[in-house]
Amino acid sequence: MLPEFELLMPRTLPEALEMMNESSRVIPLAGGTSLLVDLRGRISRPQMLINIGGLDELRGVRVEEGYVVVGSAVTIADLKHNVLIAKHGQVLQQATRVFANPLVRNRATIGGNLAYGSPAADAAPPLLVLDAEVELTCKDAKRTVPLKEFITGVRETVRHPRELVTAIRWPILPEGSVGVFHKLGLRKADAISVLSIAVMLHRKNTEDYAQVRIALGAVAPTPIRVTPAEELLSGGPLTPEVIARAAQLASESTHAISDIRGSAAYRKRVITALVKRLLTNLAEGTKEKKHNESEGYHS
Amino acid sequence: MLYSLSSNRAGNVSLGVGIPPYIASWGGESLAYSEGDPYTQHGRSSVGVNRQQNREREAIIGASIVRPDAADKVRGEAKFVDDLSFAGMLYAKVIRSTVPHARITNLDFSRVCKHAGVVCIVTADDVPGENIVHVIYDDQPALADGIVRYIGEPIALLAAEDRRSAERAARLAIIDYKEIEAVFDPVAALKPGAPVVAVPKVVEQRPNLFNAMHIRKGDIEQGFAEADIIVEETYHTGYQEHAYLETQGAIAVPEENGAMVIYGTMQCPFYVQAAVAKVLDLPLSKVRVVQTTTGGAFGGKEDIPSVTSSLAALLAWKSRRPVKLILSREEDILTSSKRHPSIVHYKSGARSDGTLTAVEVDLVYNAGAYQTLSSAVLWRGVIHATGPYRIPHVKIDGRSVATNTVPCGAFRGFGSPQVIFAHESQLDRLADGLGIDRLEIRRINALKTGDRTATNQRLGKSTGVMETIKEAGKRIRWKDRLKSVNTFNEKSVYHRRGLGISTVMYGVGLGGKAPFLDKAGAYMKLEADGSLTIAVGNVEMGQGFTTVVTQIASEAMQIPMNRIHIAPIDSSRVPDSGPTVASRGTTMSGLAVINAAKKLRKRIAKVAGSLDITEEEISARLNEIAQAFWMRNLDPAVEGWAAGAPVSWNPETGLGDAYFVYSYATHIAEVDVDVTTGEVSVEDFVAIHDSGKIINRQLATGQIEGGIAQGLGFALMEEIKERNGELSVKGLTTYRIPTVRDVPSHAHVDFVEALYLKGPYGAKGLGEVPLMAAHAAISRAVAHAINTTITSYPLSPEQVKRNVALS
Repeated sequence: MLPEFELLMPRTLPEALEMMNESSRVIPLAGGTSLLVDLRGRISRPQMLINIGGLDELRGVRVEEGYVVVGSAVTIADLKHNVLIAKHGQVLQQATRVFANPLVRNRATIGGNLAYGSPAADAAPPLLVLDAEVELTCKDAKRTVPLKEFITGVRETVRHPRELVTAIRWPILPEGSVGVFHKLGLRKADAISVLSIAVMLHRKNTEDYAQVRIALGAVAPTPIRVTPAEELLSGGPLTPEVIARAAQLASESTHAISDIRGSAAYRKRVITALVKRLLTNLAEGTKEKKHNESEGYHS
Repeated sequence: MLYSLSSNRAGNVSLGVGIPPYIASWGGESLAYSEGDPYTQHGRSSVGVNRQQNREREAIIGASIVRPDAADKVRGEAKFVDDLSFAGMLYAKVIRSTVPHARITNLDFSRVCKHAGVVCIVTADDVPGENIVHVIYDDQPALADGIVRYIGEPIALLAAEDRRSAERAARLAIIDYKEIEAVFDPVAALKPGAPVVAVPKVVEQRPNLFNAMHIRKGDIEQGFAEADIIVEETYHTGYQEHAYLETQGAIAVPEENGAMVIYGTMQCPFYVQAAVAKVLDLPLSKVRVVQTTTGGAFGGKEDIPSVTSSLAALLAWKSRRPVKLILSREEDILTSSKRHPSIVHYKSGARSDGTLTAVEVDLVYNAGAYQTLSSAVLWRGVIHATGPYRIPHVKIDGRSVATNTVPCGAFRGFGSPQVIFAHESQLDRLADGLGIDRLEIRRINALKTGDRTATNQRLGKSTGVMETIKEAGKRIRWKDRLKSVNTFNEKSVYHRRGLGISTVMYGVGLGGKAPFLDKAGAYMKLEADGSLTIAVGNVEMGQGFTTVVTQIASEAMQIPMNRIHIAPIDSSRVPDSGPTVASRGTTMSGLAVINAAKKLRKRIAKVAGSLDITEEEISARLNEIAQAFWMRNLDPAVEGWAAGAPVSWNPETGLGDAYFVYSYATHIAEVDVDVTTGEVSVEDFVAIHDSGKIINRQLATGQIEGGIAQGLGFALMEEIKERNGELSVKGLTTYRIPTVRDVPSHAHVDFVEALYLKGPYGAKGLGEVPLMAAHAAISRAVAHAINTTITSYPLSPEQVKRNVALS
């Protein structure tokens, strides 16, 4: 049974920011797909919620001054079908396809997925390899924080209690960029990730030059970029040997966690194998059909 | 065209294409048994039923008729127990133990009583009758009396004016415990000096040993001496939670003259009636039980409704007001019965030609703190331990053991999936060791008509196991598919494919452990307009029982289905019809309905004759006949009865006719294993079943598809860890059942119908069989894909990855 709470219903963003400014104990509610589960399970007991899911100012996807800007209340389902995301955030769109289930995708928002601060947020690794930033707004000010500095621990972010996440943005990718997202869950849909990986490869005209970004979800207290492996790979070329070394390094440099979904040892083994496989596929231009996207192959 | 049920007519009829000749003919004659003893007459007269009549019967029996309850359920109009309310109704909350084993030193409810809205509190001291939940052995108190034996055990009850007050007040209870050393592992619980969990009166030979059963057939030493190959392994399975859509719940309503009425979600109204009567010290006649629309059960609503109903009834008795008790999902998962965790040690021997010579099995089931259904579950596990195979020398020992954990109970398959995992794994290992094809070794050893089972039972004509193996192999094109799997594996870097086959047998009904429960009644009334009201004692719980019974009644009475109504199940309408378990609903209630129909048809024929209505015209002019019944003050109501065919099982030797008939199935799964992550995907599936005549093909197919999903969950993902008596999952966020994306998108389901002449129109049971076969086909396919021995469930990605590393 849901505990009782007060629910604020602002009609505009300024009104919402005004309400946020009045008390530091107001918790923003957008899709509610994580928050309501916590309330029901008595994991958190906020007295007051503010519903920002319906605010028009937080909707919409646009391209602005070399950036893709996504309103924080854009739902995962919206992103899954958005043409701008298909063009400029393909790696994120891959994640939306394996995100929870259709019901949750219809309600869950991109801002909520990040602001909840889960290490297993499936939108986080793709956004990390897109070098995304989070726009935070309070009544009198606005600031932008790189995503990799935004989430600081399990359910902890740098968001001030009086601030709202209002947008997510990332620079438009240069030509020759290609990304891949892989989710490992304990079933094919509606699963919390055991591990998720996003890899972004950018190549300049020559085959020899490469820049690689790798992000991992659900393996550490926060979604992380795997900097040591990225550095090893930067500049290229992507030979099988260097890919294997980077994969090994990605695993070794990650302080993997053990939880009810998997042991640290398992996570580390899979990181090595998956980083190698995804990088090899990207380097060779191979596309794999994933289990959790497949529809079966026999008639 | 009338199909008459008068006796002396039999069919030696061709059933058309697809029915193999080994299947005996079926006809009206087999249904024309005498009253009270439906199994004794097997006249073999040969007056043929003409083909026209046969086709008409086929139009109802075997047809995919839309279930009458579908529209209400789809529209959300069906009334589940939580949708009902009564004037002045209170809401109950159970105050439960938070420790696994302790003496209760003090109960302080002073703050609970002061909470607004609280009307009454019940503890063990208030129980007017016996403080027990009656299931098989009376060891489980309704409310803990001085001692608690598992986390979640009910200690006290409260009823309040509203749900929120009940929830809040319950949290104010203060319970002081003096903890006692606890034991959670069944093997540890059997060791000398282990903490004693079990109530002394219900153990055998030594503390914590709830039940011990065995089978001894032939000479096991000789059997292994004759073997050219012996394989031996220990297999482990864990809890499985039913995860029915609707959680447990009941409403108890006190009525005039001291009677109590129970409304609830349940499989066994007559169990509930007995349990409530005992706890309230009422005669059975003063307890009436009405089953409400039930949102799934799978065995989970065999024993627990006796608990929830007894608890609601205690509060209703004390408050003299209606009381509703609905378990939250968390409460339901933590405190309701589950599939028994198992340790199965299995040793099998075969000759070089693949013939099995001996099987020796030792199985240990973790029963939890109280017996509930464990003795029956263990019994089925023991009887089914050898599978559908001919084995001359058999030695089986089974034990169910008390621990300080939640009591386990019935779950689809009822103790058999655990041993099926073992017997199918063993058979594959023998085949691999001997270089024999895995499908072939099943053909070599499959039981046939006239063969003897592990309990030395000689099998009758309805033994279609061989046909299920052959048909399944044909559908998947076994040899070709093995080749294509090998080709795939040679080319693929990150994926391995595998094929798994699993063949099972299932004893229909309750068998030799509880033959006194295999009965069913039916009440049938011809209304004045010619429509038909029927009451039966088995329940619809989502499986399609109402539809199938309506079809059987329609066929037996030659009345269109839309003129027949099955009344809500009410214990006052029909005699104790046993539980709706053990895949027995269609068989038993079906027979009772046919029996009633036969009597009513006789009366109808007589009245028709007096009205000059010919036999052929009866169906069309039934309203005239019904009117004549009414005008002439004739009795338009009949009762039908069915009793299970005799079984005889000797607990000393473990031998005898354990069940009156068996159903069979062979499943084949193709899986894809991602060797990088260990993820398993079921890519193709074939399921061939012998459940005798299929009454409703669509519903039967649905049962099988559901069973495949549930079996897939058991094999691949469903997991509850237990630590110091505490379960690791609290809801469906952490207890993972398969989604629609996880089940194979194409399951090829079909039937070989080895007709059971003593069943309704040749039908046997089906409900449990699909799950039993499916999990083993999937786990064997994974074992094949990564070429390793798999000895425990679930095959999570992590476990598979670990096995990949070993292979």
